[in-house]
This record gives sequence, structure tokens and C-alpha cells, in this order.
Amino acid sequence: MKIIAIYNIKGGVGKTASAVNLSYLASLDGARTLIWDLDPQGAASYYFRIKAKVKGGGQKLVEGHNELDAAIKGTDYENLDLLPADFSYRNMDLILDNVKKPTKRLNRLLEPLAEEYDFIFLDCPPSISSASESVFAAADMLLIPTIPTTLSLRTYKQILKFFKQQKYDAMKILPFFAMVDRRKQLHRLIVDNPPSFMPVKLDSSIPYASEIERMGVNRAPVGDFAANSRAAQCYKSMWEELKSLMFEA
Amino acid sequence: MANNQLDFVFPDKQGFAELIHSLRHGFSIRQSPAAVYYRTFYDTVDWLLRTAGSALELHDDGQSQKLYWRANKDAPLRIQLGLKQVPQLAKQLPAGEFRQQLASVISVRELNPRIQIKVKRIPLAVLNKNEKVVVRINLDENWFYPVKTRAGMLLGKRICVKAVKGYDEAFDQVEAFFHEMDLRPSQDNMMKLALAESKSSTIEYSTKLKLLLDPEMPAEEALKAILLRLLEIMEQNTAGAIKGTDIEFMHDYRVSIRKTRSALTLIKRVFPKKTVKKYSKFFSGLGKLTNPVRDMDVFLLKLESYAEKLGKSKQEQLQPLRQYLQDNRDKAQQAYVDTVTSAEYRQVLKGWRDYLESTDPIEPPQKNSRKPVSQLANELIWSTYQVALKEGNAITDETEAEALHELRKTCKKLRYLMEFFQSLYPAKKILELINALKGLQDNLGDFNDYHVHMDILKGFNEAGTDEAAIKVSTKMISRLDKKQHATRNSFAERFRAFSSQENQNEFRELFVVSNDG
Ligand SMILES: Nc1ncnc2c1ncn2[C@@H]1O[C@H](COP(=O)(O)OP(=O)(O)O)[C@@H](O)[C@H]1O
Ligand SMILES: [Mg+2]
Repeated sequence: MKIIAIYNIKGGVGKTASAVNLSYLASLDGARTLIWDLDPQGAASYYFRIKAKVKGGGQKLVEGHNELDAAIKGTDYENLDLLPADFSYRNMDLILDNVKKPTKRLNRLLEPLAEEYDFIFLDCPPSISSASESVFAAADMLLIPTIPTTLSLRTYKQILKFFKQQKYDAMKILPFFAMVDRRKQLHRLIVDNPPSFMPVKLDSSIPYASEIERMGVNRAPVGDFAANSRAAQCYKSMWEELKSLMFEA
Repeated sequence: MANNQLDFVFPDKQGFAELIHSLRHGFSIRQSPAAVYYRTFYDTVDWLLRTAGSALELHDDGQSQKLYWRANKDAPLRIQLGLKQVPQLAKQLPAGEFRQQLASVISVRELNPRIQIKVKRIPLAVLNKNEKVVVRINLDENWFYPVKTRAGMLLGKRICVKAVKGYDEAFDQVEAFFHEMDLRPSQDNMMKLALAESKSSTIEYSTKLKLLLDPEMPAEEALKAILLRLLEIMEQNTAGAIKGTDIEFMHDYRVSIRKTRSALTLIKRVFPKKTVKKYSKFFSGLGKLTNPVRDMDVFLLKLESYAEKLGKSKQEQLQPLRQYLQDNRDKAQQAYVDTVTSAEYRQVLKGWRDYLESTDPIEPPQKNSRKPVSQLANELIWSTYQVALKEGNAITDETEAEALHELRKTCKKLRYLMEFFQSLYPAKKILELINALKGLQDNLGDFNDYHVHMDILKGFNEAGTDEAAIKVSTKMISRLDKKQHATRNSFAERFRAFSSQENQNEFRELFVVSNDG
């Protein structure tokens, strides 16, 4: 089982869009895939037509033994399940703070699912907190969608710094450019000349595309309703790149 | 909900249209376009995976390929991600759990596509009021396509109802619907059905002798039957031995050659002398030709397991040795291929087959030609057994290695004779004695293998120029030497077990016919 987290302190950078599309592609490969919608706003749950509600809320999930499994719902796609968001996740920090070793907690929570899933995608909320820290500890890969703007790059630098300070494995961090709009000069400039503090990043990037916006209307991954679009192709090559990183190391 | 999947048999003669129609009555159904995919089952020539309850299955829908693996009959079928193609040999896989599991079943054998099933699927989804999928129903038509042919035959229609996690109620409703239809639950697996249809399964590949001899049969007929079966085994393994990927083919090929030669020379005075001379020379030539191939194969394999215990840097030092072995093997393999693909080889084998298939009695008969086979078998086994006892008893801790090699050869002869004539004796008793003999043979075989391996390494040291590799090789020689000594030390005990009074009595009982009985 591989845990892939999609994370950024900033909101609106394409985390959920990436988590939804990449998990969909994993399931198409036949991999048993779970996406956990950790954002109390429940966007990922919404895309999969699943109610953003967990019986007993986040508190129950972290306490129980089998609660996680019971809360999982199958999506419209074979091999792709979803653990829905819940409004109580907004207090995830407090919930996790009540247990011993909060950073290890997520790991232990996901452990029983190792036999059931090949991939678990974590669609993270935009914040930095002890909940995010337990994601940093649990994930095998941390994908950071980054819009090619000065401000976004600054945010990325902050994440990197935090990782090093807290002694998390910075090798896990994989930034990629998201919502790239090549009509904008600044986007072009940054994408073509990535800054020196970004030596490792994914080669693939995600363009700004209307199909991705339309996911909200269709309530489905782009690959489902616009398989031949550029956006779908870009997610596909990103997934291929991720696989080659995971399996050809 | 105990189960998350239900399978039903759907009558072959009915179409699915009516079923879909009545489903639409009770449920909101979304039907996707029919899709076709192929399931190809891989296995070794001797069906090692199937025998072990394992499976290696490739699914191909024209867009993508997916490889599934089941470790044993109780394990689930699991996708193998990140593999670009089906491996031919376990060692081609990256190190890991899958490779380990596969290797434990197929060892060094080669995988090939054995059975192919084409599935025509109509995928249905049951939707809830939010148009969310809550149950999946696959309507499948399974066709058997013998690999590489285009004509298929219908194996059967199946309905598969799959739960979507977290929507138990909908699943229960669909289940009730199908129960009302009174369909038979399906337990059979398509692979088994396909195999039953497969004509190829009737010509089972086997390296066992599987001979049934009539005790009263004249020896000449029995000998022909034995040799014909050995020829068959040889021919079954020739293509694989030429290809050379799966080293077991060459091994089995060689075993049948050795047995052929032994049958010819041990079962004396049945065929005319000049026939025996001609063919035993031919087969012994083949044996010598292929000796180095097998020796190198075995040693290369040993080297791999030996190298695994070494550190990375030492492993690299072994590279010149590996290359040396591989070069020698390739040279010997090429010489073999040149020989078996020659017109001369084919001609001799054809002559051999003609001779064995001829039902004309041998004229003039040799001393043993017309003797009942059971009598000849008794005489041969008993006398060879006596030789083995005598040779073994003469071996002390001081005896030269040469004597052990002689005994090894005698034991091999005895073993072959017992196998050739196995069907003439009570199954359980002869098997017990064969097993007793095996215990001794293992010891003698190990002793000999160490000897061969040390010789190979010495040859490398003499020819080699790479200092570091020679150092490792020399170290290996001293290790092997120690092991050979240990084997030598346990010989006495093994031989004592084999030559126990109890076993001697058993041999006597089975192979010596009392005159008054
Ligand atoms: N590559 C893109 N092109 C165009 N719109 C996008 C793209 N990625 C995301 N969006 C849109 O931007 C909004 C925020 O995206 P989302 O994936 O929810 O970000 P996050 O999860 O980081 O908050 C959504 O409305 C989404 O449809
Ligand atoms: Mg989001």
C-alpha cells in the first residue's frame, strides 16, 4: 500500500482536482484505491456524489477499531472507494491532540487498510497543523500543487523549510505546477525557469483548463466525461510519471 | 452483508435483452457499451501454477494490460502493478514478494500463455435517486479461444452482481431480484472449463515413464515400449532445450537420454549387439555434448544463491566468473543446437523410432529376447543390487573418491531398472525401496556435485586473469571442499540405512522368486 497525500497550505490551488483525477487513474489501472476527503468542506466527496458525512464524526474514526472501514463508500468507479469528509474534521487537530503521538496516529489508523488497498490518496485541507503533520509522517509521497506565481512559490518554500525544521523526510515532497496558464507571462517565466529551491519536481504539470472547472457540474473526474481533453491527458502523464517513480526506483 | 459478490449461471440459449428489460422494471439501470477483454492464463509446461492452486492471469481490453496473481488457492487474486510485461522466468522480476512467491512455485521453469478466454461483457449499474452507482451487474459471455486460434467456443454465460461498499440495502434488493429468477449460483471457474475443452490438455506433457508392462510380455516388446516412451519424453523436451530459457527442458531431455542408454546397455541380450552398439554410441555422444550445458546451468544457479549471501562489492567481483560460466554455457548450447538441428540427427532418430515401432520379432532372437519381462527384471535388479551392496561395503573412511563415484553409477543403474519395471511390482513396496535408494543417491549426488563445481572453479582459476574474482573463486573452492567432506562423513550412515537387514529382506522378497513358490 502506498499513501499519496496532496497538500498545500494554500486553498484553491488544485489539490482536490488532482486527488480526484489521480485516484481515478489509479483505479483504472486496476489498483484498489481509496481517496480520503480530509477537507471538512467535502469537495472530493461532492465530486463523487457522496454525502460529506461520517457517522460519529472524526472523533469516532480515530477512536474506533473498525470505524474507518465502515465509513468507506464505493464510488461510481470500480476499484475506487472514498472515505467521506465530515464537518467535524475542522477540529481534526483537537481530535488528534487527544491521542498519544498524534503524528503516528494516522499511520496506525490506515494500517488495517493495507491489505485492502494498493493506494490511499489523502486530499488535505489547506492549513498547517498537527493534523497536517500526521499526514507528513504517514505519506509515502507528498504532492504539492503549486501555481506558478511568486506568492505560491513563497508558500512552497515555507513548506520545505518546515519539513526540514521538523526533520521530516524532505525526499517525500514532490511539487508540481498546477493551473498553469501559458497566456500569462509570469507563469511562462516560472515554469520554464523553476527556482533553485525547487530542484526536484514532477516533469508533468496541469494546465489551467475549463474541463477541470466543469468537474463540479459533471460531478466526475475529467477522464470520465472528457477523456480526450488536454487536461485528462495531463493528469494521465502525471500518473505515469508517479508510477515510474514508485515502481522503477 | 456477508458476501460482496454473487455469481449466477445464465442459460446459454437465452439472450440478455429480456433480463435487462425486467431489471429496468425494478431498478434505475445504466447500461454501458458492451466491452470485450481477454483473459490469458500463464503456466509452465507441466502446469506447476495450476497444480499449486496459483494463477497468473493477464487481462487485455485492447487499451491496457493488467496482470493478476494468486499465490495459492486460498489467497485472493491480486493485481501486480508496475510490471511492463509478463515475466518468462521468476528471476526476471524485481526482488520482492511477488518474485519470491512465484519462484517458490515455478522455480526455474518458464511461463507461457496456456489458456485464453474471451469475455464479452455488458456492464450495468444500478443507480440511486442521486444517480450514484450503488450496485454493479456484469453480464458476461465467456468464450474459449485456444491460444493462437481464431475459432472460439462458448463456455457459458454468467451474471456477476457486485456490491458497492456502503450501499448494502441496494445490494440486498438486487440479490432478492436474482433469487426470484431462480438462477443457479455459479461456483465453477472458467479456467477449469476452458481446460476441459482444450484439446491440448489431452496430450499432457509429462516426464514420468507411466508404463504398464505385462509380466508375461516378451522382454523385447517391453524394452521397445520403455525406449519408445523415453523417446517421446526426449522429443517433448527438444524444442524447450533448443530454446534454452527454461533449463528444466534440457535437464529432462538429458535424463531421458541417460535412461535410454542405460536401458540399452543394462537390459542385455535382448536387442542384437550391433543395434545396441550403434545407438548407445549415439546417445552417449548426445550426453557428452550436453554435459557442460547442464553443469554450467546448475552452477550458475548455485552461484546466484551463493552471491545473495555476499555484500554488494563482493557480488561485483563474481561478475568475471559469471561471465566465464555463461560463455562456456553458450558455447556448449550452440554446439548442441547445431547437432539437434542437423539432418543427421533427425535421420538417426527416425531410424530409432522405426526400429522401436516395428512389431516384427527380433530374428534371430538373442538370449533374453523372448524371456518373460518379469523374470528378466528380477534377475537384473537383483544382480545390480548385489553389486551395489558389494561396492558400498568395500568403502571405508579411507577409500578414494573414485569408489564413491563407481557406487553412484551403480545406484543410478539400479534406480533406473527399478523405475523401468516399476509396474511389475506391488506399487507401495517398490516405492519404499526406491525411496530408500534415493536417500543414498542424494548423498552420493551431492558428493559428486561438489566435485564437479570445484573442477569448474579450478578451470576458471587456471584460465582467468581477474585477481579479485580468482580470490573469491578460491574461497568458494575451500568452502565446497569442506562441504564435500561433510557429505563424505555422512556417507557411512546413509549406506548403513540403505543396506539394513530389513531393506535386504525386502529386496529379496520382491526380486528373488523362490523356486517352491
Ligand atoms: N487546472 C485547473 N484549471 C482550471 N480550474 C481549476 C484547475 N484546478 C482546479 N480548478 C478549479 O479551481 C477551484 C479550486 O480547485 P481545488 O482542486 O478544489 O483546489 P484546492 O483543493 O487546492 O482547494 C475549483 O473550482 C476547481 O474547479
Ligand atoms: Mg480541496
